[in-house]
Amino acid sequence: MIRSSLFAGLTTVAFGYLYQLAGVNLWIAGAIGALAWAGASVIGTLTGAGLLSNFLGALIVGVLAEMAAVRKRQPVTLFMVPAIISFVPGYLVYQSMVAFLKGQSADGIRIGFTALFAAGALSLGLALATAVFRPMLRRWLAPRKPPAT
Amino acid sequence: MERQMPPWNASVLGAITDAGLAMMASGAEVSRVEDTVERLARAYGIETIDVVALPTALFVSTPEGTLLRRIRRRSVNLAAMAAINQLSRDVAAEPIGVEEFHEKLAQASTLAPYGPGKSLIFAAGAAGLISQLMGGHLVDILPAAVSGVFTQLVRQRLRTTTIPGSLGDLLAAIVAVFPALAAAQDPIFQPGSILVGGIMILAPGLLLTTAVRDGIAGDLLSAAGRLLEAILVGAAVAAGASLPLYAYLALGGRWP
Repeated sequence: MIRSSLFAGLTTVAFGYLYQLAGVNLWIAGAIGALAWAGASVIGTLTGAGLLSNFLGALIVGVLAEMAAVRKRQPVTLFMVPAIISFVPGYLVYQSMVAFLKGQSADGIRIGFTALFAAGALSLGLALATAVFRPMLRRWLAPRKPPAT
Repeated sequence: MERQMPPWNASVLGAITDAGLAMMASGAEVSRVEDTVERLARAYGIETIDVVALPTALFVSTPEGTLLRRIRRRSVNLAAMAAINQLSRDVAAEPIGVEEFHEKLAQASTLAPYGPGKSLIFAAGAAGLISQLMGGHLVDILPAAVSGVFTQLVRQRLRTTTIPGSLGDLLAAIVAVFPALAAAQDPIFQPGSILVGGIMILAPGLLLTTAVRDGIAGDLLSAAGRLLEAILVGAAVAAGASLPLYAYLALGGRWP
């Protein structure tokens, strides 16, 4: 789990580079990616298989990205996009594709829908972070104004 | 001392519209684009302004005139997004001359810290690393990295041509399969992870993220448009990867 979290962090950094992200923002995004993957793995092993870990991973990415954005006064997208890539259900889409190519349509449809729901769970996690946590975080974490005199 | 407002003229409208256009083209959310354009307009002394941003067009209307811009090229450039964001903040706090703003904007929107050569290396790293999250073993890193380089190379080459984006993604996905096919000859490799590593370079992560954020903000047209684009890109990538794999399986090739 620690190993795969490390890989998730490095993957985030590599995709950040690919999306032209530079400087300290890149490393913040990498830390977000690793933390979210670790959190999702813990939930995944506690609750067994299912989409809950996808949802929680995306939620952690969303909340941490919102926090980083307020602190660094940068668009949230900067931190969110590289960090969410690790969670994109690419392998499920691939498996579904291969099942169809081998003529196993029932498997293809089943796995394809799982991939679709996984993408939906990711969207829901990000959406919840933006809709619910963003207003709260803005209040708590806004850069301190100098005290009025 | 009272702050001197630069005199209003048509080029101010052009400049702030260009700023919105550049943000939209680099993948920013609608609400951010509209907010930035309004903030810039106020900084330049335009009090009444209406902005409508769509993924394919930008409308800016003021009492003195209306400007309409078509958005054709969209790409993921987080550096440009951050730079324009910073520039608009700075200008909103302290307006600069329109000429100077235009210059800085052009600089910010073409900002690319890493050239095409470096991007190839990063694509190799990204593909190699993500193959580890997609069920791959350490031995799969190298072929996945090769696949990532191929994919990025094709995408970079096609970006400067007139070939539409989704067709380019399809062609890039075709190329991504070949290292996996070669690796499938040896059972120590996981060709599936190698293939996924290569095509994840093309994953529409920004489109999906922005679609969700636009939907939450109530910018439904943009959310629907971006979701559709993400689905189209995904379908193009899947179709592109299926083609060589289908031919390979039909010829009786080995695939776990």
